[in-house]
Amino acid sequence: MNEGRIGIAVGATMLLTVVAAGIAVPLLSEFHPNELVAIPFRPPSREYFFGTDQLGRDVFTRVFAAVHRDLGVAFLGVSIPLVLGTAIGILLSLATSRVVAALTTSLIDAINALPLLVLAIALIALFGPGLQSIVIVLAMTNWARYARIARTRADVVARMPYIEAARLQGYPRHRILLRHFVPNVSAETLAYALSDVILVIMLISGLSFLSLGAAPPTAEWGVMMSEGRPFVQNAWWMTIFPGLALCWAGIGLSFIAEGLSRRERGAGE
Amino acid sequence: MSLLTIENLTIGIPRGSAAPLAIVENASLWLQPGEMLGLIGESGSGKTMLCRSLIGTLRRRGAAILSGRITLAGTDLAHTDERAWRDIRGRRVGYVPQSALAGPNPVMTIGAQLREAILQGTPGADVPARARELLDLVQIRRPELVLAQYPHQLSGGMRQRVMIACAIAGTPELLVADEPTTGLDVTVQAGIMQLLRDIRARLGTAIILVSHDLALVDDVCDRILVMHAGACVEAVPAHAAPRHPYTIALNRSRIELAEPGTPLVTIAGQPPSVGAWPPGCRFAARCDIAQPDCRLGPHPPMRGEAHANACLHPERAA
Amino acid sequence: MAMPERSSPDVEQARSRLLKKVTARLARAAAVSFWVMVIAFGLIRLAPGDPVLARLGAEAAPEAIDRLRHALRLDVDPATQFVEYTWGMLHGRLGTSIETQRDVATIIAESLPVTLGIIAVTLAMALVVAVPLALAIATSRRPWVPYLFRATTSVMLAIPAFFTALVGLIVFGLHWQIAPIIGYEPGFPANLRFLWLPALVICTHLVPVLSRVLHASLVQTRGEEFVETGIIRGVSRLRFTWFYLLKPSLAPSIVLLSYMVGVMIGSTVIIETIFSLPGIGRSLVGAVINRDYPLVQGIVLVFGLFVVAVSLAGDLLANWLDPRVGAT
Repeated sequence: MNEGRIGIAVGATMLLTVVAAGIAVPLLSEFHPNELVAIPFRPPSREYFFGTDQLGRDVFTRVFAAVHRDLGVAFLGVSIPLVLGTAIGILLSLATSRVVAALTTSLIDAINALPLLVLAIALIALFGPGLQSIVIVLAMTNWARYARIARTRADVVARMPYIEAARLQGYPRHRILLRHFVPNVSAETLAYALSDVILVIMLISGLSFLSLGAAPPTAEWGVMMSEGRPFVQNAWWMTIFPGLALCWAGIGLSFIAEGLSRRERGAGE
Repeated sequence: MSLLTIENLTIGIPRGSAAPLAIVENASLWLQPGEMLGLIGESGSGKTMLCRSLIGTLRRRGAAILSGRITLAGTDLAHTDERAWRDIRGRRVGYVPQSALAGPNPVMTIGAQLREAILQGTPGADVPARARELLDLVQIRRPELVLAQYPHQLSGGMRQRVMIACAIAGTPELLVADEPTTGLDVTVQAGIMQLLRDIRARLGTAIILVSHDLALVDDVCDRILVMHAGACVEAVPAHAAPRHPYTIALNRSRIELAEPGTPLVTIAGQPPSVGAWPPGCRFAARCDIAQPDCRLGPHPPMRGEAHANACLHPERAA
Repeated sequence: MAMPERSSPDVEQARSRLLKKVTARLARAAAVSFWVMVIAFGLIRLAPGDPVLARLGAEAAPEAIDRLRHALRLDVDPATQFVEYTWGMLHGRLGTSIETQRDVATIIAESLPVTLGIIAVTLAMALVVAVPLALAIATSRRPWVPYLFRATTSVMLAIPAFFTALVGLIVFGLHWQIAPIIGYEPGFPANLRFLWLPALVICTHLVPVLSRVLHASLVQTRGEEFVETGIIRGVSRLRFTWFYLLKPSLAPSIVLLSYMVGVMIGSTVIIETIFSLPGIGRSLVGAVINRDYPLVQGIVLVFGLFVVAVSLAGDLLANWLDPRVGAT
């Protein structure tokens, strides 16, 4: 349990530092993220901590100006499917029509069978590249994962003796649903959401890296890495620093998720 | 001369620089060749650990023998290394695991498991002939069918019969059966007990039968050793009247003795848990006749030969 | 368990139960495949606005628009189109690429082997590393080992593959020059020279996931009672490791592995793009950028069916290795 607490503390510190820097740096920096401040390809120095890019923009300012974008889109990209999927999963578990349940379940299986990245890329072909498209695409696809988890959990909850007891005592249906199903099931989907944030951040930056997400000159980690890629031999800082910021945030989230699941397991034992 | 002697055995979990956590303390018992001893106690009383010390698998559970002696027909089992254990396990001490569900290896056929057991017992044995002989001994019909099956394809009782066949493959002098009927039907349970008695009669194997069911053990064993919170409290011949307050209480709470219309008798309170043993007799907190001196000093040792008792005030117990 | 003792259970009955189980699993795979087809088909119809205009631009000539609309079969009603599409698919016709005018099935057939090669090399590497690693950690007595393992794998899982790939390219490709940074040569073993680094990069995610699951089930197995009987029987170390530790623990890992193949396919899309490998994933990215709908459709379909097939194979393999899986 100690281990869980250490993980959460370390993870939260890492995440908070990047969020704090994401707020502070754009406010305090003397440069604008898209401002051409120096000659291109300046290596990291005391003036330009992370160097300058191919246009002469300050990489340091851009890396931290991207924080709110990457984390914000990831938050949206996780919370919409979370709510949608949890609701669908619970409804599916309560559904009385076997045909509807079977059809929906196999649709969920099919969406989950397709690799998220492949499906996302294919859908982006329709909606066009962009961060909004990513949020829409995630809402269209990722709900299925939450629905599967919610459904499995709701089925377990439905069989619990106290639900049966509540039903027999004649509690109204919506009250049982809100009091027992929703909290119980969403605890499970929320736990998954926490680890999902990491995957979604990688997806957003990965798609942007493939020029399917945010477009230049937006300050976004994937975009910056993609812009730096042709110059990786001589101007490694253009690629490495946004990448490190991405890893830093990811590792922080991963430690939090791992710590929480440890603590939960410890409490269960 | 007795086959097995355990003297003042203490088993515990070493905890680095801290004092080891005792699980069994100063346990003593003896067993004659061909004798059937029942080992009774609630969960956490240390009976399973005591069994494990007889087959040398304490270390896997992080436990170790801290002091005391175990002698099996002249062989010291308390200071045996892993290499020497190989010659003892299966050949001199057989072991029937606790649950018929989890005992057999789920990914090996019955035949493969029996083969391992036979070769461990007698290297170079004629495996098919011996397998048939053993399955016959544990009263399994259609052996060729059973040999090709996986454990989950057999009923619980069948599985446990197979495990007994494996345990006696090397004709050991001592068979340790750790609650061999957990999770089995009452009728199946009776069959397994009868089988153990048959094996004792035919092969002269001494048996330690672990259970938490006093009535069952009283029926099939010659003698009963009662454990409570890591200590041996009474060694009573079967069908004899118990003298230790704990055994008396256990005996009273037997369900088949309950008078219709009267509430079931239970033992008040919980046994103290490992690591939280009070000084003196560990049953004192639950005992009706406890005296001030019961709560002092180390746990009282058992005294007496044929019927040993650890109670300091046996005259008050009734 | 409360059953009267039988001399032996009915073997016939057990066999028919297994058969039923397999049939149900096949039916599920078929249902999922159907939906995969519907999704691949529906992709183009789901587009907001007109996919033809999206590709050609609003100022395109009306004849060009009509021609493309006809080529995409958007001029017939969806039901007819779906029947045509299904019929064609069953005959291996996946349409024609708008961009290159080449047959989609041919494009896929050309690029699929590269992707399968990456997956095969990755799987081999991951197994060689993950199985001994999980075993070593599960049997270690040092208390800090599992800590370190969990912390390290958490870190590895949080690092995006495309970042690892870029760092790998810088270190192995540019700095040490032991990996080619561009190009590809088909055929085994010539392709290994180009595949080892991409596979290694995917392994930085696959090995942590796989070894974690295997480690968890090994720890569970280690605590089971039958392990005791293995010790008592004094079986050899090798035999003990396989029959009493690994084999009973494999089923969850195999099911996971078949699922991970799907996830790996996802990462090959990025990895192939970074390492300029002519695989199906890079074709997908190109097709999306060019809005080459038939090619996108075809690739999604092939990916989906492949994943369904692998997960089916994984379940059946787990079933075969661990007879308990099929029984419950």
